[in-house]
Amino acid sequence: MVAAQPFHDNPCRPRHFKPPPCAPVVPDGPARKALEGCRARLFLTSVLFACVFAVVGLRIVEIVVFEGGSAQSHMPRFRIPAPPVPARADIVDRNGKLLATTLDSPSVYANPKQILDPADATRKLVKAFPSLNSDEIYAKLTSGKSFVYIKRHLTPREQYEVNQLGIAGVQFQHEERRVYPDGKLTAHVVGYTGIDNSGFAGVERGLDDALKERRDPLQLSLDLRIQYVLREELQRVIDDFTAKGAAGLIMDVNTGEVLAMVSLPDFDPNHPGALDPDHPGLSFADRMFNRDTLGVYELGSIFKIFTVAMAVDYGTSTLTSTYDASHPIHIGRFSIGDYHGKHRVLSVPEILMYSSNIGAAKMAMAAGGQRQREFLSRLGLLNAPKIEVSEVGSPHFPGKWRDVNVMTIAFGHGISVTPLSFARGAAALVNGGILRPATLVKQPPGYAPQGQQVISAKTSEQMRKLMRLVVEHGTGTMAAAPGYVVGGKTGTADKVSGRHYAETRLLSSFVGVFPITDPKYLTLIMVDEPHPNKQSHGYATGGWTAAPATSRVIQRIAPLLGVEPVDEASPEVQRALMVESLQGKKIEAY
Amino acid sequence: MIRVGTLFWLVLVSATGFAMFGVKYQVQGLEDELARTKRATAAEEHEIRVLGAEWAYLTRPEMLEAMNRRFLSLSPISTKQLRTSVTDIPMRPPPAPPEEAVVVAAAEQAPPSAVPSESEGVPTNAPTPPPAAAVFEPPRTQSALRVMPALLEKPAGAQQFAGTAPVKAPVKAAAPRRAKSLDDLIAQIMASR
Repeated sequence: MVAAQPFHDNPCRPRHFKPPPCAPVVPDGPARKALEGCRARLFLTSVLFACVFAVVGLRIVEIVVFEGGSAQSHMPRFRIPAPPVPARADIVDRNGKLLATTLDSPSVYANPKQILDPADATRKLVKAFPSLNSDEIYAKLTSGKSFVYIKRHLTPREQYEVNQLGIAGVQFQHEERRVYPDGKLTAHVVGYTGIDNSGFAGVERGLDDALKERRDPLQLSLDLRIQYVLREELQRVIDDFTAKGAAGLIMDVNTGEVLAMVSLPDFDPNHPGALDPDHPGLSFADRMFNRDTLGVYELGSIFKIFTVAMAVDYGTSTLTSTYDASHPIHIGRFSIGDYHGKHRVLSVPEILMYSSNIGAAKMAMAAGGQRQREFLSRLGLLNAPKIEVSEVGSPHFPGKWRDVNVMTIAFGHGISVTPLSFARGAAALVNGGILRPATLVKQPPGYAPQGQQVISAKTSEQMRKLMRLVVEHGTGTMAAAPGYVVGGKTGTADKVSGRHYAETRLLSSFVGVFPITDPKYLTLIMVDEPHPNKQSHGYATGGWTAAPATSRVIQRIAPLLGVEPVDEASPEVQRALMVESLQGKKIEAY
Repeated sequence: MIRVGTLFWLVLVSATGFAMFGVKYQVQGLEDELARTKRATAAEEHEIRVLGAEWAYLTRPEMLEAMNRRFLSLSPISTKQLRTSVTDIPMRPPPAPPEEAVVVAAAEQAPPSAVPSESEGVPTNAPTPPPAAAVFEPPRTQSALRVMPALLEKPAGAQQFAGTAPVKAPVKAAAPRRAKSLDDLIAQIMASR
């Protein structure tokens, strides 16, 4: 189409020039037709555009007025990605009860370069987190850096509040936090993690790599119910005898699994560094100290079971052998006497029953130092224990095994071992003579790890009978738990104070096994510095402190463990526990 | 002709264009939905973890003990409460003589308490059912028959009481009714076994 040129109104136009026909002149014929078609097309196009604009306009009205926030759902691709799967596996007990888990807990940080009004932002943040110091926050926000943490590990509620503040430049960083729902109860076993979720103690540290790699929960051999019973009873002993601390563990003698391990005082792994209102005077290091695996102690008379087992297994003594315990032994500057002195000739069962130091020392001397050392080494007592927690203590023992050492080690002085090593060795004495590694990880049902035969099955049987005698007639009568045929040995050690043994600072303990006719579980309770009370008639020995606690623990846990009670007076049980050498002899009541 | 061809191609081009855009947006929509679902799943999983932790916290032994002390006062099982062998459980009383002898036997026996297998050995902390439920207790002893004359109307039922499985007939005889309480319901269920 030829455009109509507005020549007619041009004042400079030459006179002779005739302007061509243009728009205002309505032409006829085909030109008019074309013009109308053009108009129609223009109209159509404008209608089309109007429609489209109307649609867009309506859509805007719809979004703004009617839909509000839901319009956001059309842009999910630009949102923050979903939180990734936790990088650390959960820890559960043998029944699947949660002991440690990882939860999201975002940290809030700021980019000071993006913050427009630091003073206002500081005011809002301090209002949301009253624990924050406003000067510090203001200093952070005006620091000119591009990343400063405001607060780490928020709860979901705190995160919501920060979102509500709507400060530009304040953002969240995805972070995880380890949570221990049971708190103190499993503190020493499970341990805790640092702020960046790497294990700092316990299983968290011992199995750190495994926990980082695996997805499914790690199942420990621990039984939370039994752990609870043990902790409660230990706390009771501490309260009753105003003791400094206590440790206890319960072990399956046939698999080496540790069902409960408690060390008191303890700490809350959710707030590891925090002060404990119950123990204001104790530092975190004191409360974190695991007495079961890290502490090494001269355990005292409970060691006599090793002396007797050694002498009987090597054949240097039999159950009918007798030793004169009427006079103390003097060797060098030492004097060895009996605490529960009988002042007469004692047979081997009586030495254990009445816990005679003199008798034990003489038995050990009869066997010799080399055998004693070899035997203790075979039972793993001269090495640090192997267990899944990171804190393990190496034993202390004399480099040169002199006669005086042989004698004192016979009744548990002059050698320091961890309670865990002791329990593992003691389990081997009663389970038929097989030493198995102690473990905190649940073993498949019916599976027992490969063990090593350390004493003969016959010696083991004799040890069971002797340990039953201790509870029936000896120093451990208070450990009896009717129906569960407990056997065991008491121990009372004087703690070393400087270069001397302090007779007032005791370490009282009891190792118990039940049912002794067919040993299933071993308990070891150790009380650190108990003080006599009125009920104990001035005693704070193992028989008066740890033994009654053992009895209470066993009576509470045996039904949980499915141990069937038996009639202890029944002829079958009596026959199974008969010690031939004592038949016909009158047993003195302790 | 050429105009028809142009039109054809025009239609085809626009149709493909529309189809392509349609598919594109569909795919985008699906991708969005997938991302949404994945995020929702992750959020749900996280929620489950939080709830799991909370459950573990609320059911920790310390808490359970406090609740027990407050609401149940259960105590640890003592050795006396445990029966480990089937032979320790007393036997059911010998089957009753035929109906004529029932009255005589009932007169000789002690009143309703004679349910030896239940009263001994099993520790029960549950409250005893209310008296209304007693009607639906299975009549296990002859003395119980006396308090339920209505149920005795069916001679066949009476014959069955003497047998070892005496519980079915009385339930059929009684019209099922709505349980008034949980104990009542348990009693009904026990009776229908």
